[in-house]
Amino acid sequence: MEDLTVVGKPVTRIDADEKVTGEAVYGYDLVLPNMVYGKVLFSPKAHAKIKRIDTEKASRYPGVVAVVTGKDAPWIHGESIRDKPFLAQDKVRYIGEPVAAVAAVDEDTAEAAVRLIEVDYEDLPAYTSAEEAARPDAVAIHENFAKYRKMDFIVPGAGPNVCEHFKLRTGDVDQGFRDADIVLEERYTVPIIQHAAMEPHSAHAQVDPVSGRVTIWVANDAPFRALHEISEALNMPKERIRFINPLQGGGFGSKGGLKVEPIAVALAYHTNGRPVRVKFNREESFISTLTRHGAIVHVKSGVKINGSITARAMTIYWNGGAYAEKSPTVCIRGSVPAPGPYRIPNVKVDGYAVYTNLPVAGSFRGYGIPQGAWAVEQHTDELARRLGMDPLAFRLQNVFVDGDVAYWGEELHSVGLKETLEKAAAAIEWGKKVDALPGSRVKGLKIGKGLACIQKPTRSPTTSSAGVIVNARGEASVLAGTVEIGQGCNTILSQIAAEELKLPMDKVRTAPLDTDVIPYDASTTSSRSTYHMGNAVKGAAIDAREKIAELAAPMLEGKKEDLAFADGKIFLKRHPEMALAIGDVIRRKLGPEGTVRGDASYTYQIAKDLDLETGHSDHASAFYMYATQAAIVAVDEETGRARLLRMSAAHDVGKAINPLNCAAQIEGGLAMGIGSALHEHLVIDDNGKVRNPSFLDYHLVTALDLPEMIPIIVECAEPEGPYGAKGLGEPGLAPTPAAIGNAVADAIGTRVYDLPLSPERIFWVMQQKKKDKAA
Amino acid sequence: MKKKIQITLNGKKTDLEVPSHRLLLDLLRDEIGLTGTKEGCGTGDCGACTVLLNGKAVNSCLIFSGELDGADIVTIEGLKIGPELHPVQRAFVQEGGVQCGYCTSGMLMMSKALLDENPDPSEEDIRFAISGNLCRCTGYAKIVKAVQDASRELRARRT
Repeated sequence: MEDLTVVGKPVTRIDADEKVTGEAVYGYDLVLPNMVYGKVLFSPKAHAKIKRIDTEKASRYPGVVAVVTGKDAPWIHGESIRDKPFLAQDKVRYIGEPVAAVAAVDEDTAEAAVRLIEVDYEDLPAYTSAEEAARPDAVAIHENFAKYRKMDFIVPGAGPNVCEHFKLRTGDVDQGFRDADIVLEERYTVPIIQHAAMEPHSAHAQVDPVSGRVTIWVANDAPFRALHEISEALNMPKERIRFINPLQGGGFGSKGGLKVEPIAVALAYHTNGRPVRVKFNREESFISTLTRHGAIVHVKSGVKINGSITARAMTIYWNGGAYAEKSPTVCIRGSVPAPGPYRIPNVKVDGYAVYTNLPVAGSFRGYGIPQGAWAVEQHTDELARRLGMDPLAFRLQNVFVDGDVAYWGEELHSVGLKETLEKAAAAIEWGKKVDALPGSRVKGLKIGKGLACIQKPTRSPTTSSAGVIVNARGEASVLAGTVEIGQGCNTILSQIAAEELKLPMDKVRTAPLDTDVIPYDASTTSSRSTYHMGNAVKGAAIDAREKIAELAAPMLEGKKEDLAFADGKIFLKRHPEMALAIGDVIRRKLGPEGTVRGDASYTYQIAKDLDLETGHSDHASAFYMYATQAAIVAVDEETGRARLLRMSAAHDVGKAINPLNCAAQIEGGLAMGIGSALHEHLVIDDNGKVRNPSFLDYHLVTALDLPEMIPIIVECAEPEGPYGAKGLGEPGLAPTPAAIGNAVADAIGTRVYDLPLSPERIFWVMQQKKKDKAA
Repeated sequence: MKKKIQITLNGKKTDLEVPSHRLLLDLLRDEIGLTGTKEGCGTGDCGACTVLLNGKAVNSCLIFSGELDGADIVTIEGLKIGPELHPVQRAFVQEGGVQCGYCTSGMLMMSKALLDENPDPSEEDIRFAISGNLCRCTGYAKIVKAVQDASRELRARRT
């Protein structure tokens, strides 16, 4: 393989300058000519019939341009199940559901008018627990669920609120438990948390008064999918809808699907062509956008004295909130690998995605993997403890290696898991006695070590298309539908184009995202971009390069196949001194404003779809990401506070296109994982009301909360990936809470089964242990 | 009630007539059009809207415009030194301290305030100074490193 010039190098981000100067324009910053300002009335009821809405006073309020309710916007959308009205229709299903909206000449006016809308409700019984809502005799949250349009892989459950029941069936778990020497059954829980991207949600929309075309400006991470969803809901051809993406201030899964967009569109139909801006404030973003599924995870395993695992059975309840959103696919893709990256002959998983009367849950960085890992990776340590084995040795004995057929029927390759285990463990001196650690001699501090590993699939099959335009100045523009959400895709994709065209990085830029001109991309989710869009951009750059070579061949009096590219120039391999700048080639043939365009599309094909009876698939994912994280923790015996001393994170990325960016992704993921382990918890009372919708009460990690973090890049190349790359965005937080949980258990000698690992929770677990000892 | 005020904004005397209760954040973003200062919460909890007010870092979402007559205000748009990036801006670029960028303006203004007051901060000093500036992307490690680099660069320039 020829030497890489840009790929694999720690190139600084191409978007950093505009961000450090404040010049970057985000969705929240966007001002459109003649725009009006939208404000929303949210439901104060978790589950209620709407008896009456009176908008009369609000409509008459000076400065109000439009007031809309569900009657004015009779549209239903939904990615997997079409169940969600643009604005509540006839009933509300959670506190925070948009009921009505106002557009006015300024924000203050809109806010004042919203308060004048009167609504009468009649309460209905509300569910906050997924286990209770899943019961066959539960009251239906969606009375017409059977009639909703659903994706064809969805299998509703027995109860009226189970919108998906996923089944994985491999071997015979009962026989496996009979064959075991030790059987262990446990229950773990994960609370609802929130993405809390620093930029709150917003959307702008306009309906063109002449053409009727709908334009939506929104920092959405999957504009093509959002366009599809709007088009289905409005029953309008796709070419009559346009999405323009301003910059996005973080998303982590919360800004895909439709959030503020439906409200902006509903209003835009009543403003005589004026664009509408709807901004959610922080509290509104907390209660009315998206959350991460709370989960209840039952896990039962059988092991033999020799350390092999004979069987594992799991039941997982995913608390989906009031609408399906991505719950069915989180349930499926989170439940398939939930039993962990281990060789287990007999496996049974039942995953239930359940409607409740809570804010809507959906995709969150990690897509169901963190919930399963919190349970299974601690359960793995408990099994090792009962076997008298070292948790690392127990994992090394059982983890997947190349050539293993996973319990969902797929033969695995490029498995870098063992290397991540070894490197993450080494970075916290796994074998070294805990007594010798700094801090361990401080009275009242108990020190422990722990680790956890994960395997993460990516959304498959999916397509990415890209274009690369090279102009007569020798500059390239990358046309890709991947959304820069902070992860660094614009830099990565530019590196790939620069590599294939042999251009310096400062000659390559990415085009702004507008669905009218940018080629299709499935979504900026699932850690799929470097692999899928990377392949597409690579192909498009090669296509452009070939076209330039065709133009250059006669100029250089040689054959196309004898040409080579370097440093922005093209030349005959035998005459490198007679080089032409590629811009000059284009100019000579096509004029000073001429361009050459290359295009390519990449689709990962799967041979066989998911079998709905067994959950098996022979190619469930384009690639798999592997990671291990390890923690050293100090627990204060008096207060129960767990303080992290050090964390390592070893991630198999296939190939680091940009090692600086990879380290940044790992550190950022780790910090988010630490937050979800120690602090984060959306506190929701029995009535379904979020009690901490602010950064004062919802504790994100600060610069003071973090330990020394050691990011480690492992490169186990994926043959289909560009330069061997896999993905990295999501796994950074997936094993973190379990690694910390294992360290806490090692420190205090007893296990905590629920998140977060707050001082209070750890304190009471320690108290219980003392009581048990005394008794 | 509208009030006439004169402020020095990014080194330029500026006369304004503003409602007294208008927040500095909204004044900057909506009335003056400087959107580099970001709104993350509007309640003083996240630091995204940090600007320098008379040399001190403040959350601009907690300041009423009516109090600002005679004030000196520096926003992210005023951080560059002529056409050049300020060393702290350059360090954020070089070290990878920027991801989505939404916290970056506030983070930079807080770092600038710290370095003005303490040219040689320890890692702990830096972490303490930026502990009111939330970042959901970076895990802060590269931001802390960037501020350390900038402090070295600024001290080298002074000698």
